[in-house]
Amino acid sequence: MKKFIFLITVVLFAVSCEKNIELDLPDVAGAVVVDGYVENGIPPYILLSKSEAYFDPIGQSSLNNLPLRGALVYLSNGTDTVLLTEIDTVINGVQTGGFYVALDSNTFLPTMIGEPGTTYSLRIVTPEGTEVSASALLPPPTPLDSTWYLVQAELDSLGWGWARLSDPDTLGNNYRLFAKRLNRDPYFLAPFGSAFEDKFINGERFNFAFSRGSLLNSSAEEDNNVEAGFFKRGDTIVVKFCAVDRATFEFWRDAENQLGSNGSPFAVPSNIKSNIKGGRGLFATYTATFDTIIAN
Amino acid sequence: MKKISGLVLLLTLVSAGLYAQGAAQEDKVTISGFVRDSSSGEALIGAAVYVKELQKGTSANAYGFYSLTLARGTYNLVIHFVGYREMVLKLQLDASKSIDFQLSSTVIETREVTVTAERKDRNVESAELGRVELEVEKIKSLPALLGEVDLLKTIQLLPGVQDAGEGNSGFYVRGGGPDQNLVLLDEGVVYNASHLFGFFSVFNPDAVKNITLTKGGMPAQYGGRLSSVLDISMKDGHQKEYHAEGGIGYIASRLTLEGPIVKDKSSFIVSGRRTFVDLFLREPFVPASSPIVGNSYYFFDLNAKINYTLSSRDRLYLSGYFGRDVFNFRSRETGFSVRIPWGNATTSLRWNHLFNEKLFMNTSLIFSDYNFEFGAQQQQFDFRIFSGIRDYNAKVDLNWFPTILHNVKFGANYIYHRFTPTNAYARSGDVVFDLGDVTRYYAHDAAAYINDEWDISEKFRLSGGLRATYFAHVGPFDRYVEDPAFAGRFTDTLSYARGEKVADYFNLEPRLSMRYELNSTSSVKAAYTQNYQYIHIASFGSVSLPTDVWVPSTDKIQPQFAVQYALGYFRNFSDNMYETSVEVYYKEMENQIDYEEGATPDQDVRNNPDNNFVFGRGWSYGAEFFIKKSRGKLNGWLGYTLSYTNRNFPDLNLGRTFPAKYDRRHDVSLVMVYDHSKKWTFGLTWVYATGDALTLPAERYFMSAGPPVNVQPNGELGLSNNFYILSGYDQRNGFRQKAYHRLDLSATLRPTRSRDKKFKGEWVFSVYNLYGRQNPYFIYFDVEGNSQEGNQRVQAKQVSLFSIIPSVTYNFKF
Repeated sequence: MKKFIFLITVVLFAVSCEKNIELDLPDVAGAVVVDGYVENGIPPYILLSKSEAYFDPIGQSSLNNLPLRGALVYLSNGTDTVLLTEIDTVINGVQTGGFYVALDSNTFLPTMIGEPGTTYSLRIVTPEGTEVSASALLPPPTPLDSTWYLVQAELDSLGWGWARLSDPDTLGNNYRLFAKRLNRDPYFLAPFGSAFEDKFINGERFNFAFSRGSLLNSSAEEDNNVEAGFFKRGDTIVVKFCAVDRATFEFWRDAENQLGSNGSPFAVPSNIKSNIKGGRGLFATYTATFDTIIAN
Repeated sequence: MKKISGLVLLLTLVSAGLYAQGAAQEDKVTISGFVRDSSSGEALIGAAVYVKELQKGTSANAYGFYSLTLARGTYNLVIHFVGYREMVLKLQLDASKSIDFQLSSTVIETREVTVTAERKDRNVESAELGRVELEVEKIKSLPALLGEVDLLKTIQLLPGVQDAGEGNSGFYVRGGGPDQNLVLLDEGVVYNASHLFGFFSVFNPDAVKNITLTKGGMPAQYGGRLSSVLDISMKDGHQKEYHAEGGIGYIASRLTLEGPIVKDKSSFIVSGRRTFVDLFLREPFVPASSPIVGNSYYFFDLNAKINYTLSSRDRLYLSGYFGRDVFNFRSRETGFSVRIPWGNATTSLRWNHLFNEKLFMNTSLIFSDYNFEFGAQQQQFDFRIFSGIRDYNAKVDLNWFPTILHNVKFGANYIYHRFTPTNAYARSGDVVFDLGDVTRYYAHDAAAYINDEWDISEKFRLSGGLRATYFAHVGPFDRYVEDPAFAGRFTDTLSYARGEKVADYFNLEPRLSMRYELNSTSSVKAAYTQNYQYIHIASFGSVSLPTDVWVPSTDKIQPQFAVQYALGYFRNFSDNMYETSVEVYYKEMENQIDYEEGATPDQDVRNNPDNNFVFGRGWSYGAEFFIKKSRGKLNGWLGYTLSYTNRNFPDLNLGRTFPAKYDRRHDVSLVMVYDHSKKWTFGLTWVYATGDALTLPAERYFMSAGPPVNVQPNGELGLSNNFYILSGYDQRNGFRQKAYHRLDLSATLRPTRSRDKKFKGEWVFSVYNLYGRQNPYFIYFDVEGNSQEGNQRVQAKQVSLFSIIPSVTYNFKF
């Protein structure tokens, strides 16, 4: 709604102009940022980094400094506690650290696997001695009833993905949806509005549509022309539908709000709700089920 | 207990004062009547009726009625009203009599005012602090954004009143929020006084007679808001002849018709205003295939009023206002359409009755309504949000003039409120989502008051009053008891039956203001005011929006409460040509509300909005300097305000005190009108204001947009580099935007026409932001450069809304 009002204002007063300005903001940086995942059937993993002052330049040197290396990351499923292993990974062709995974450091065999119905607790001790903790439930799966593709009226081959969901009777189910076009998208991508809860749909069986997510700041033509947000006849779409815990939903609801209202004169900026005690970010849980749609 | 003793003291003072003069009553006679415009018969609200020999007088009330009780004798009466030729009348008073005064306007003829008699000016003489009256005619010759004359934007040019941002007609008074201003149009409450998200106000200047703003020292007849009362009176309609008035501007066109129904007995006025750009966004101006077709925006205002004089003692008024904004959007590609209508409606029926020459009564029945709707449709989806407030109001106000030393006002008021906070309806195909039943709040709101303006001595005047208020939130109502561990999940629902009390409040509000005259041209004044406010707005946005919802005080929301202390020095120079004042104030506001950090509108749906509120306090203090030149070819004013406004909420900003968004250290307004000749009038305004307080991010961090390790059904593993940059905030409103300043000019040309004297046309040329200052409207952030090349950075961009905007408006009158 705010976006709408904003849009109207801009359209009506297309006389506005903008310029770059320099701001003198206080430095608040160096907080521990947790980007953690527990998914069903695979070993949990955590990306650890540090926050930066808002206007620091973003470059390779800063990216190199971001990862939080050498932390002790303990993960517990209530019965066992394991120490995650830090593994060097390559992002953007650059060796980075700060990636911790539940694999044995010698054998590379999983030391823990995401099990739906389990509550996981995370405890991190940084080399500086800062302690950060979080816990989250990996919820039971809620598969979609069915999925399909529908061309939108007035658009000959473009359309949205559709799904039918039967929400369980108990209130408190939260979801996040991803999709990937086989041989076209490198990863599963989240459309805008990917996270939702069952507050208004509790126990209902209903249909919903989802648009096509894109890579951030994508320069691909299809993300910048009329096809943006649409699937196309001929696509093979793999839908990854995840039951998530409350904190994961809240984090992404707030994050999408924040990203969507950047600079809107009508919005009240606020921090994203986080389940990390002593740091930023999210210890997320995803119980995924998959469906495939052939768009035709 | 402290309040009660205050009341007793006050009543004792009032009655003692009245009895003291009672003994000498027999020798006294009363003159009373109405002060009106000689040509149109319009009542002149606030006109001064002054007895030269006694150096005392009174002023006409909201219906133009005055009453003076004097010892028998011969007096020179001076009847004065700004913009009118002063009248002096020598009068032999032997018996009580009724005299109606007819003043003739100087605006049309000479635009020059000659001072014929010495009298004390209201600026110095009244006991009022923080009260300003504006002349609509003068406002019309000031520059206006896109030529659309706006009363509220002129109000913003007064010291102590702050605008709500570029082009916005919303206003903040002495550190109070936008919900703390009582905006009355012929006594009907206007809950959202703006069009187009604040860019224009709903008041059509052609239909308005008088505007009074009270920002401190509020007398007891007003209540229900903490910060100010903006009292707007509509014209009654010409009593003698038919007239039409209108104008064509960039934004809207106006037409007003007025005239007698029965000459000198009954008259009417009808006034309409509408934007017209949408009329050109359709066929035949735009081909049907254009993507613009189906998108439109318009607003309109319709004012109507009739009055009927039943007898010399009775008069009836019926007035109404109806206005709407409508926005339509349709995307042919996606089949997505939106319709957003919103607006106000008010109706008031008033009966003036004169019991005798000393006691005047007005009884009103008032209806007010504001509602907002947002409807969106796409294929099988149907989504609707609606909210609003509706009042049924009955009111009786009496005005008693026992002696020349007293002006007593008393009365009572009852309002039945119906609040509709954000409700939603959503449907996908045949499935209707469970968004709960329509939630509403109902409330009884009652008040009784007495206020006496008493000249205790030659030099000392006391205006003391007391307002007693009762407010009850009643059923039907469902209180959702929220699980503290899980917002939106309820552990219980408490149901209240129709009329059953949910919560109620009784409070006393003492009001006191006094004036001590140092000499005939200067005085000091002091005021103490207590106010309670039982209705509240919490906004999701940082500015007032049509989506803002009103909620009553409930079991969870305590009434807002404010105490204000004000002190002022008033002095006139050069035969009252220059009025100057300095006022200082300190104001404390308790039980202020806001949404909890990060709250989103959907949290209000199928819930009680007050479950999502947090509570805190605010305080404001400042000094206001005002110089006004009210006569002469060059007139206008200069105002400067120095102020500090802070808030503290235990649940916001980690409990740290933060400046209000509208905390404004310096605020300067210069307003000048130069009446060059009968043909030309020039207007100038210049404003300077400290930048708004703003929350900006302090830190940033990276989060993967989804699980970066992707396991696909075929067992393939992938790692993404798809990361969002998210922001962390630290100090709320911890940053300041750049200062705001702007110069506007206007020129009004009245071509002289000798042949047809009745028809008067004028061209108003206006330039907004003459020197093209790029004032900050908002700031956003953009990531520039390329991370692979290592030169990526976050760049702040400041967006300015209006550069130089010239405009032309044509007005006519016949």
